[in-house]
Amino acid sequence: MNPITLHTKVLPSLLGGTSRHPLPGDLIRPSSLSSDGALEMLTLMGQALRFERPSTPESFIVEPEIKDNRKIIADGLRRPLIRLLTTKNVTEHPGRALARVFDRLRLRPHPFDLPLIDGFIRSNAEKLGPTAQQWADRQKPDAETRSYFDPELLDESNWRQATLSRSVAYLEQRRRDDADAARALVESTWAQEEADARFRLLQVFQTRLSISDQPFLSRLEKDRAPRVRALAARFLARLGASSENPALGACLERIKQSQSGLLRKHTILKTELPANLKDQAASRWILQTFTDVSFGELAGAFKVTEKELIESASKDEPLLLALALIATNECRLDLLELVIANLPNAWERMFEAGLETLGTMTASERQRWEEIVVHPYRKDVPTAYSLWDWLHRITDSEAPSSVMSIALHAKLLTKVPEQERGGAPWVEMIAAICPASQRQELREQLTKFDQSQTITPLALLEILDGMENDRTHV
Amino acid sequence: MSLTFERIEALAPDQASLTAARKLLKSSYWPTLAEGEGLAWGECQGSGATPYRVVINEANAGYKCTCPSRKFPCKHALALMWMRADRSAAFAPATVPDWVKDWLFRRRGTSNSPSKTDDEAKPKTRPSIRLTEIPAAGADVDPKAEQRAAATRERNRLEREAAVLAGLEDLDTWLSDQVQQGMANFIAQTAQVCRTIAQRLVDAKAPGLAGRLDGLPTRLFTLPGPARPSAAIRELGQVHLISQAYRRTSELPELLAADARQAVGWSVTREALLNDSERLRVNAKWRVFAVLSEAQPDRLRRVETWLWRQSGTDGMPQCAVLLDFIPISTGATVGGYLVGDQIDAELSFYRSTIPLRAQINTLKKGAEQSSEPLTLPDEPLSASYAKYEHALAQLPWLGTIPLSFRTASVRRNREQLYLCDDESGLSLPLHASQANQASPLASLDRIDGIGLWNGYEFTLAWAETQLGRWMRS
Repeated sequence: MNPITLHTKVLPSLLGGTSRHPLPGDLIRPSSLSSDGALEMLTLMGQALRFERPSTPESFIVEPEIKDNRKIIADGLRRPLIRLLTTKNVTEHPGRALARVFDRLRLRPHPFDLPLIDGFIRSNAEKLGPTAQQWADRQKPDAETRSYFDPELLDESNWRQATLSRSVAYLEQRRRDDADAARALVESTWAQEEADARFRLLQVFQTRLSISDQPFLSRLEKDRAPRVRALAARFLARLGASSENPALGACLERIKQSQSGLLRKHTILKTELPANLKDQAASRWILQTFTDVSFGELAGAFKVTEKELIESASKDEPLLLALALIATNECRLDLLELVIANLPNAWERMFEAGLETLGTMTASERQRWEEIVVHPYRKDVPTAYSLWDWLHRITDSEAPSSVMSIALHAKLLTKVPEQERGGAPWVEMIAAICPASQRQELREQLTKFDQSQTITPLALLEILDGMENDRTHV
Repeated sequence: MSLTFERIEALAPDQASLTAARKLLKSSYWPTLAEGEGLAWGECQGSGATPYRVVINEANAGYKCTCPSRKFPCKHALALMWMRADRSAAFAPATVPDWVKDWLFRRRGTSNSPSKTDDEAKPKTRPSIRLTEIPAAGADVDPKAEQRAAATRERNRLEREAAVLAGLEDLDTWLSDQVQQGMANFIAQTAQVCRTIAQRLVDAKAPGLAGRLDGLPTRLFTLPGPARPSAAIRELGQVHLISQAYRRTSELPELLAADARQAVGWSVTREALLNDSERLRVNAKWRVFAVLSEAQPDRLRRVETWLWRQSGTDGMPQCAVLLDFIPISTGATVGGYLVGDQIDAELSFYRSTIPLRAQINTLKKGAEQSSEPLTLPDEPLSASYAKYEHALAQLPWLGTIPLSFRTASVRRNREQLYLCDDESGLSLPLHASQANQASPLASLDRIDGIGLWNGYEFTLAWAETQLGRWMRS
């Protein structure tokens, strides 16, 4: 009996049941009187199937071509990295710190480790190079994915081949050098961009916004994404291209102007918050109300210069908060510094307001922003974890040395509320924001805690040192 | 065996145990810490008045603690291993105390304990398994009592043989019913019908066949729907083949008869195996290339440690598998060995046409992590597969078997990954659980490696690639 006979005559009977499809009588030849011919056919068929080789698919998927010029992290760091990132209940701070260093040093995780640290890869794909980005996108439909290249140097021909964050950084620089050329670049790829990318690219127009951007921005009033439409409308309002900015009108309704001084009159501005607004909601209301207004518009409305506007608001904390938020939004760190001279607790107030992004600020601008916000506290740094957590999230950078010095000299880790002292969120966050030059000092402070509390932060510091100093990345 | 953090992490039953162990790293918890003869022991002050006594054997990651914890290893044993691994505490050299000696004495298995001289370590000439069924009369043994015990054993054996044969008759009837109703119908009610016959076979003292049928629904439902009816034919066909072979063991070659008895459920104890002078022994360096762990319906976890022979003479088994059974309730998921470990040991193989299952007879050198590559034969996947087919012809109910390969590639068709041999066109589907972890291999041109083939799916265990070594985790 050959396999073909088995398949054509025996298999259908076994599948359908011999009571309904009896086995062909001529094939049943029991090996002995006591044997059951049907069971012997079952065995024979089973063995024949076992000897069949697995079928080969007609075609295989061609894997996407990825040009990843980044070096793979040194072998010795792979296990500690996986262990750290897969530790149960680890906070997001170590992952953020690691992703930043991967990006800064242009390193990438080993491709074999991607499945093991999937959560980290998905959260930080943009900073980990094209291989990681392809991994994070692998379940997206083809239409939503793009080619995966990460050129070392970006220019006008390849700027969108890089990750979105690098493309935005390139565009930001281009806006500063040549705003019109940058706009032309955005226009050339606009139709292919998805909503998130369109929003982030449009944010760059904040830098050197000019009347020549108006035709492009006008076209965006019909964009499919509401947030893109809203941002374009804000820019148009700032340019005075649309009818008067409705947000400005809403702000001005809430600001009372008066004059003060005997010899030299100067303007005093005071905010009148809505009567039904609860105290704890005031900061949020200010953020929502003043987000869509520019510093220039507000100063123009009161016919004062930007600096005079800050002076006029110096006695009104809500308005100072509004100005701090506007200065942050417009990346006017010079003005922010002046505002914070009058509002030393701006850090806490901006946190209460729910500020979620620093927009298109560069890494150095974020660090400078952090310095401006933290410096007024000096030795009385806040000991609320939520504030430091927010600071790290919003800046997404390591702390400037001066800020870290404040935290270390104030012995922040030992001053936090007792029930939180040595807790994973604190020690992991401090290790994640610590610059390389101050890691040793931090290690010394960590020795005062129980060894079981410092395993993760010390491991993080060790890995970061390894990434920065190891020369065996390949 | 060098204790490393990776090994301790792998041994820990869960993350909570590791966290708890961390808290015991302070030397103030340990009034006694000592070492000697490859062992380390200590007393850990718990909540009670008497400290817990903890001992670990670094050679094979063995451990014992007097605490009442149901986790194995407990936090005390983990903490002691941890302190050994990071050298954070001083262990005073000392002679092995009696309680440690007791533990060593009671402990099954062999080690490279330095207290054992070479002569002692040498396996003594022992009678074969068959001969051991009639124990030799000792000087201080009552011959009559021995005779009575032997007669009882023989009576029990005959009773069990009769029970098994009766169970096989029931099995035939059950199989005939399934064939009459058809495999499509069998798939629809497989869990229920398999459970019923498995229980009957347990009563008939045929636990091997019972386990095979009890696990059948799980095996079938891991396969894609269209493949299940033909897989059921394969599986039930094997069951019938085993039952027929068992009835005819006297007509079969000795090794195949041993396979049939083992498949039905007659087990050979470790002691019996090591007492068998005719057993196959292979003295070599072995490399752990896979550790598989599976929870069984009987609340035991089956841990398979697959070894690859790195040295030694040709003609001997190239692979071996050590089986351990751990209660699921302990939370432990691995044995004492990790993938990548190398051991220098003499293994004793259970009698089989295709010898795979083994026990460590003498451990000359404990496990050490090694970065050396596996000494894979220079042959493609198709050649290994041909060997599998040859082995299948010799042992028709052959289970999982290692296949090595060179210059193969991993390719994807939809969500399924395949290990492909481009030259012969052979493609083995990778185990569904590896769709994620083996995915990065799909972008590489060629890989060399080894894995486990169960007739349906290939579990890739180890691969040498241009990006370095890939290991199943």
